[in-house]
Amino acid sequence: MNAQPHAKRWQWTALLVLVAMLASACAAPAAPSAPVAGGEEAAAPAAGDALTRANTLIFALDHSDLITLDPAVAYEFGGILPVGNMYETMVSFNPGETELVPVLATSWDVADGGDMWKLTFTLDPNATFASGAPVTADDVLFSWGRAIDINKSPAFLLIDVCQMTKENITAVDAGVVELKLPKTVSPNVCLSVLTFTVAAVVEQAALEPNLGSDMGESWLNDHSAGSGPYVLNAWERSSTVTLDANPNWWGGDAPAMQRVILQNMLEPANRQAAIETGDADIIQDVGPEVAAALEGNPDVALAKGLSTLLVYASVNATMPPFDNPDARLALRYAINYDNIITLLGGNGELVQEIIPIGFAGHTGNNPFTQDLDKAKELFAKAGVTEGATIPFIVATGTGPGGVEWATVAASIQADLAQIGVSLDIQQMQQSELLTKYRAQELPMLLMNWGPDFTDPDANGTPFANYEAKSLAWRNSWNDPQAIELSQQAAIELDPAKRIELYAQLTEYMQNNGPFAMLFQPTRVYGLRTNVQGFIYDPGDTPNVSLWLISKN
Amino acid sequence: MARFIIRRLGGLIFVLLGVSLLTFFLAQLAPADPAGAALGSNAREEQIAAYRQQLGLDQPVVVQYARYMSRLMQGDLGNSIRTRRAVADDLRDFLPATVELTLSALLVTILLGIPLGILAALNRNTWIDAGARILALLGGAMPIFYIGLVLLGVFYRQLQWLPGPGRLDSTLPPPLHLTGLYTVDALLTGNWMVLANAAAHLILPAITLGLFSTAVLLRMTRSSMLEMLGQDYVRTAKAKGLSERLVIGRHVFKNALPPILTIVGILFGSLLSGAVLTETIFNWPGIGRYATTSVTTLDYPAVMGVALVAAIIYPLANTLVDIGYSVIDPRVRAG
Repeated sequence: MNAQPHAKRWQWTALLVLVAMLASACAAPAAPSAPVAGGEEAAAPAAGDALTRANTLIFALDHSDLITLDPAVAYEFGGILPVGNMYETMVSFNPGETELVPVLATSWDVADGGDMWKLTFTLDPNATFASGAPVTADDVLFSWGRAIDINKSPAFLLIDVCQMTKENITAVDAGVVELKLPKTVSPNVCLSVLTFTVAAVVEQAALEPNLGSDMGESWLNDHSAGSGPYVLNAWERSSTVTLDANPNWWGGDAPAMQRVILQNMLEPANRQAAIETGDADIIQDVGPEVAAALEGNPDVALAKGLSTLLVYASVNATMPPFDNPDARLALRYAINYDNIITLLGGNGELVQEIIPIGFAGHTGNNPFTQDLDKAKELFAKAGVTEGATIPFIVATGTGPGGVEWATVAASIQADLAQIGVSLDIQQMQQSELLTKYRAQELPMLLMNWGPDFTDPDANGTPFANYEAKSLAWRNSWNDPQAIELSQQAAIELDPAKRIELYAQLTEYMQNNGPFAMLFQPTRVYGLRTNVQGFIYDPGDTPNVSLWLISKN
Repeated sequence: MARFIIRRLGGLIFVLLGVSLLTFFLAQLAPADPAGAALGSNAREEQIAAYRQQLGLDQPVVVQYARYMSRLMQGDLGNSIRTRRAVADDLRDFLPATVELTLSALLVTILLGIPLGILAALNRNTWIDAGARILALLGGAMPIFYIGLVLLGVFYRQLQWLPGPGRLDSTLPPPLHLTGLYTVDALLTGNWMVLANAAAHLILPAITLGLFSTAVLLRMTRSSMLEMLGQDYVRTAKAKGLSERLVIGRHVFKNALPPILTIVGILFGSLLSGAVLTETIFNWPGIGRYATTSVTTLDYPAVMGVALVAAIIYPLANTLVDIGYSVIDPRVRAG
């Protein structure tokens, strides 16, 4: 047949294309290269060691929330991880501990200055920025003042929680900073706040020539000006943040990992593949299913840590039937908590109070186990008749702990169905749910809360104080006693008394509040077995101290 | 020709106006607050109110639209509510990734679809034809996410022949930003290592995205060729003693081409809009993913930006197809 030669030619063309594609794939180098930006050599990596895959850490995580690398602006998990490893604060927490430790400040002192608290910080004379310049009191003033002026998401920590004003921050000399706080603020709460990246110190001399029209915000997205163990190499939007070890780090041994690549990977299946093939050294957020698949893999270990999040169901205290405290208590007795914990497959712990495990003031009391008779009786007392239907709003997608929001909701729905109360589950986009929650429009919902700083007040006020216009307010729960207790506890200086006050608040809310606290989810990481020194500490900023990590 | 192009571009302005109006007012119907969504669940009421004011969301919708349009006239797409960057900057970062993926998928489509379609037509009712039809059936029937996962499972996880998700190995820095297409930029700057790596990263997503359109194009090419092969002029040409190669190449294929070209134009559009799934599976930082996140967080300046870009690309592709007609068929030029 005459057609054959043509057919052959096409076959050959197709084959050639395939071969060319495969050849280019095989030619792809396995070894990493030094950064080459636009054909010119970028700054050589830190301590002089050549970059190899062995001293490069690839950390795959979903950091699609990352919008800024400016410490004054960053308030998302994705941003705080790199920012916390590039910048340092005056004080910090050691991983796993709740005692403050010095970082840039060698010592600090809290004194009663009459009508105000007076906090004095003495800077470490050895502290230097990555540029080699010393960290001075002026840098601290500049950085805190800048965060207050920029007034973005995390600024309320300084402005509202600490009630800081620029006038009340002064430099006594080049090495001493004085901060005055009103008496309505607890100095301990404020010290906790100062461990957060919003209070990190930025090098004034580096930033000032680059302030532009946005006070240097956009410049800091592509450059770093901190004193921490890492410096910024590059941020490829929506893809990777590449950090290099700071060769001038004053704070300790040079980081073992010369380069850290934080790779944005949204799909759990991709993260699983990356850790299995060794393309990633660490992956974040291993859900129950992936954890089961990785179990028994000799190259991968799982590291679990409790987050500081709390997942809860809540009800609006002005909408029937939950305007009646008995109905709220009935809900807490109706829920089968064991079933929810089982659903989590080990990715969460039962917590029935507003203060999470790991925070001062956590009591460990979980008074509720499912008691359907009692729940039925309390509902009846509250006038809830069998056959009542209550809308139950849940977000779409997966919640903390790696289980779908709707799955947890269905478990609660089944519990209430047993006593004749029907929950009508309605799923909503998180953004829509939040809008309606804020407008006090939701009769019942499932949600989570993460504290803004490592102090029980970070939960006490939002959950109990209606006037703070946070969670209590969103659930229309205006309870003078809870407000009073939360305010007292917030400013109490005696640690023992403070813990007692939080215990009282916890008990009061368990009996009267609009919340059914459910669990504290764990965060699960997958690590290649050669990764050492990895610690996840949700109470610390950053949650993961990259400079402590090494590889065998 | 020039008049034709100017007329097309003139029409484009009305399309853009319509799209902007529709997108803007549809966004207002969403029962949620973009400022609140951007600031997260812990944000205080005062912060949200301040951000709303800063964004101008406290103004009447008509005022908001007028402001948006007046800025747009000056070429300013505004700032994203979520990323807080200029939408134009976001698009500059994310659009090239999608364009590179889409063009690669189109390349797969053309390189596989047309030759296989011709082969199938020339060998009608043989095993080659049957094989091509089975391929077309599979390509048309298998969902993108399934193909993607299977390809990744086989070529990346098991055989480790090809790299995993992403545009480049994370240890490699991207090439200097000229066009934003990594392969093109690497080629222009002579960065061979990145070129090879970027090309290798493109293979699986391009096949995944292109398989469906390959199936469509294969079938179209086959039927168009068959139709032409049965025409009288083919018999005449053969009777004149022209070689098979000349008959197929110069006569049959050229006449079968217009409908194929139309399909390629349509396929380009569907590839572009279908890219979002492939982007998700292959961790591809493209505009599809950007659009999805923007929609769910009600980031309407970003959504508008994407909609306007799409509104430009579709007519542009169609115009290119029309120009293509006039190149291959003088009668169109005359008309």
